[in-house]
Amino acid sequence: MDSNVEQSPFFQHQKAKGAIVVKDPPKFDLESYISNYDGAARLDRLHHIGASSTYLAIDAYRMAIAEAKRGKNVKLYLDLTEDFSTIAPNDPMASTDMAWAEQKNRAVKEEQDKLEHELKSYKNNLIKESIRMGNEDLGHFYYACGDWTNAHKAYYRMREHCTSNKHLADMTLRLVYVTIAQKAWMGAQSHLLKVDGSQLKGDEKTKLEPIVSACSGLAHMCTGNLLEAANAFIHTSPLYLTLEPAAGIRWQREVISGNDVAVYGGLCALASMDRSELQQQVLSNNDFRNFLELEPHIRRAISLFCNSKYSACLEVLEGYRTDYLLDIHLSKVLPTIYSRIRTKSIVQYFIPFSCVTLDEMNQKFQLTGEYASIEEELEDMINNNILDARIDLVDRLLISPPTNPRYNVHSDALAMAEQYDHTLRLRLTRLNMLSAGLEVRTDKGYNKEGTSTLSEGLGASLRGLGSRMGF
Amino acid sequence: MASDLLNLLFSFQPDLPELQEKLEYDRQARSFVSQLANVSGQHFLKGADTSQDIFEVLNPTVNSIAYTYALQARIVAAGENPKLQKNIPDQLRPGGSVWNKLALFMETFDPVQMRYVGPEWKRLVDYIERVARVMGTPGVAISPIRAGMLRLDRTTGAFTLTHLHFIRLCMETRSYVAALPILDNYIHSLPTTIPKPVLEQLEYSVPGADHTNSGEYIHSRSGHTDKITVADVQEYYLLGAMAYIGLRQFKQAKQFLEHILVTPSSNLANGLMLEAYKKWVLVSCLANGSVPPLPRTVNCAAIKQVRAASRPYEALAEAFTQIHNLPKLKSQANAGKDTWAEDGNTGLVNELRDHQYRVYISRLSRTYSAIPVSNISNFIGGSVDELTHYLEMLTDEGHLNARLERISKPEEIVVLRFFLDPTQGPLAKTEKQQQQALLGQTERTNILAEQVKSADYRLSLTKEYVEHVKRQSKKAAANAAGDAMDTTWGDGVVPEEEDMMADLH
Repeated sequence: MDSNVEQSPFFQHQKAKGAIVVKDPPKFDLESYISNYDGAARLDRLHHIGASSTYLAIDAYRMAIAEAKRGKNVKLYLDLTEDFSTIAPNDPMASTDMAWAEQKNRAVKEEQDKLEHELKSYKNNLIKESIRMGNEDLGHFYYACGDWTNAHKAYYRMREHCTSNKHLADMTLRLVYVTIAQKAWMGAQSHLLKVDGSQLKGDEKTKLEPIVSACSGLAHMCTGNLLEAANAFIHTSPLYLTLEPAAGIRWQREVISGNDVAVYGGLCALASMDRSELQQQVLSNNDFRNFLELEPHIRRAISLFCNSKYSACLEVLEGYRTDYLLDIHLSKVLPTIYSRIRTKSIVQYFIPFSCVTLDEMNQKFQLTGEYASIEEELEDMINNNILDARIDLVDRLLISPPTNPRYNVHSDALAMAEQYDHTLRLRLTRLNMLSAGLEVRTDKGYNKEGTSTLSEGLGASLRGLGSRMGF
Repeated sequence: MASDLLNLLFSFQPDLPELQEKLEYDRQARSFVSQLANVSGQHFLKGADTSQDIFEVLNPTVNSIAYTYALQARIVAAGENPKLQKNIPDQLRPGGSVWNKLALFMETFDPVQMRYVGPEWKRLVDYIERVARVMGTPGVAISPIRAGMLRLDRTTGAFTLTHLHFIRLCMETRSYVAALPILDNYIHSLPTTIPKPVLEQLEYSVPGADHTNSGEYIHSRSGHTDKITVADVQEYYLLGAMAYIGLRQFKQAKQFLEHILVTPSSNLANGLMLEAYKKWVLVSCLANGSVPPLPRTVNCAAIKQVRAASRPYEALAEAFTQIHNLPKLKSQANAGKDTWAEDGNTGLVNELRDHQYRVYISRLSRTYSAIPVSNISNFIGGSVDELTHYLEMLTDEGHLNARLERISKPEEIVVLRFFLDPTQGPLAKTEKQQQQALLGQTERTNILAEQVKSADYRLSLTKEYVEHVKRQSKKAAANAAGDAMDTTWGDGVVPEEEDMMADLH
């Protein structure tokens, strides 16, 4: 059956598109994994797993379709069943329930009309609170239908009718929630900043902080700012795990879970921090320890890295590659993160040596398939100025180049002096020309005939000279 | 009459003790020159080519001024402006007796006396050039002119039209090496107008004084040069740069071209700047491996125009820097063939193509300490033997700090091994060499500082500056006096309004 799934038109198409297709079974159990999530996040993740893993595709799609049928998002349901029918055409779930879809569409339309009508009447009454709630209801409704753009608009319209700081904060949180669903990370970041800058005090504020830091970590990670992401994640307060719903959203179930914070934070930190930073800011960080306990292998990988056991660390991470590729947020940045960790390990590994054989390197750092041989990978790293070393292809060695600071200082000084000298000469020339009244300017008449004939004559003579010089 | 003339000629003895006073020397030299200028050429010609010849009597080093006039008289007698070979008497042709005297004079004249006879000096130099050209052997003029220039001004840093004529001669005869003694000297001053009183009345400013900077006795009034224009200066630098290119000293060539690019301009460029920019792009690639940012002092609007007209060159430079895409440069170079040919830059473009291989190979030293030649040939093509030969040439010519090794372990292969430590290998510099280079640089910088000071001094003599100072002091006076005085409307006209410096102009 597996091979059937792999050969199915859907996965062939995905492969052709260059999307990630994972064949190996992951380490997690789908049921228990997905039970961590609710709402849109649950559907989204199921969809991603179904579309990426040949091993879990059928189970994931079945669950997703069942889930979608309970909601209002008809378009998603149709998409899912269409995909599923190309994977397993004979499965009972694969056939689209058109009657349900039509009926649901009608119901959705009716609900929309009702909500819009209500909002209109609230607007006529000019009661701010009612208008705000009307918009909010409409936003919730659009969100449930999967219409992110309109949801965003509806929530945004709440702004002028907010009467308290609490309302403002809730609205902005809602906006964050929508932008994350849209995967519009820049928008999410700007909304998060607004939440952070909100006027809330005391308890309210401390409740929001973990949400802000977890979400901004997510946004930074997805935009590729790994260091900022790491800093945001590792400073997320453990309160996040037990937080009550804010703005009606259970963030740790509907956006990112505590396990996600641990994995994302750990990986981003590994990719962007050096050993002492990792030790101080990650392993000895009391806040983050609570998260790391959820994902002990991440903790193990970080401590292995800190103890200079790079190959073991890479091995641990390699083991979880499949799992992480099936993570909806991580899958896109995972190659970057992994290759950063790898190159960093190589650089760190090489520091204490003056010379290492290439075979030893090859053994310590198993190839990941990106490069044909370890030489090429090292070559690339040297060319990109990541690794300061030279390759000896004859004796198959990686050599650390000798440094001679005294010599370098001397030659740098010399080069700099020459540079300054020349700059000064240029300026003096310019000054002399100015003081001698020499300047290129437009003189009518002279310019029309004079310079054109001059430059032509000159061009000709230069051409002649050029050919005569053999240049 | 002859003895009168002789008396006159010997009346100026620069070694006399009373002439050690510079002002006195100046006065006497001036009156001597004006007396000589009134003597008709006929008197000098008496006894020519006999033992009574004036040339035999005068010592070119001691009686340089008199000797100049004597030479002048002979030249005028033979026709100063010969158009045809037959108009030049044998004596004045290269190798003739007077020519030899002229050449010898150029090497031995007294530089201080020569400061007083600028126009005559210039006529002699021009005559040398003219005769050499008419005779069809412009090359023979190079050495005497160069000697004359170096003798007059050891630094040859005060620009004259002779500089331009000289470099033109060198380019026409392809004697680039011969041009180096002049080109290597930085042009630290251009002939400007120096106010007359400064030249005549100040002990340390008269032409005969011990000047540190030749710009103070070679200026627009000294007669050593005609009026110069922007194009003259630019052409000098352009031709100089081409001479350096001919010698493959690309760094110097690049620096020369930059002098053209920084020409002050009222937001427009001229043809020479365009030519210079095109060459500059190519030469920077050869010198640095990439095109550096332009000097900060360039006129942006002018350069914008120039760049708009030089797109093909910039594209070429771009292709050059893509070291891992060797065919790109080749195709770019082929695509623009006509452009390069039209601008006379084909040779440089070809050089660029050769150079890219060299850069590629020297880049390898950043990645490898040793690499089999066969691996390199996989990257850039060509057979191993050809490449080995090429690499040998590169190491021999000192482009690579590396050596070729032949290893015959399993089978014989040739290996290129780079020296990682900059203090090892054929291109290594010892600490002593480095120190010497640093000392040399210090000295150059000090000289440059002097030149800057001198330029500053000359600027302070200009009318604009004087006016600026006047305004400043007036303002300061007004400020200081402002509170104490009754500020009525009449106050603007201060009695000290009269121009204190007016006599300087």
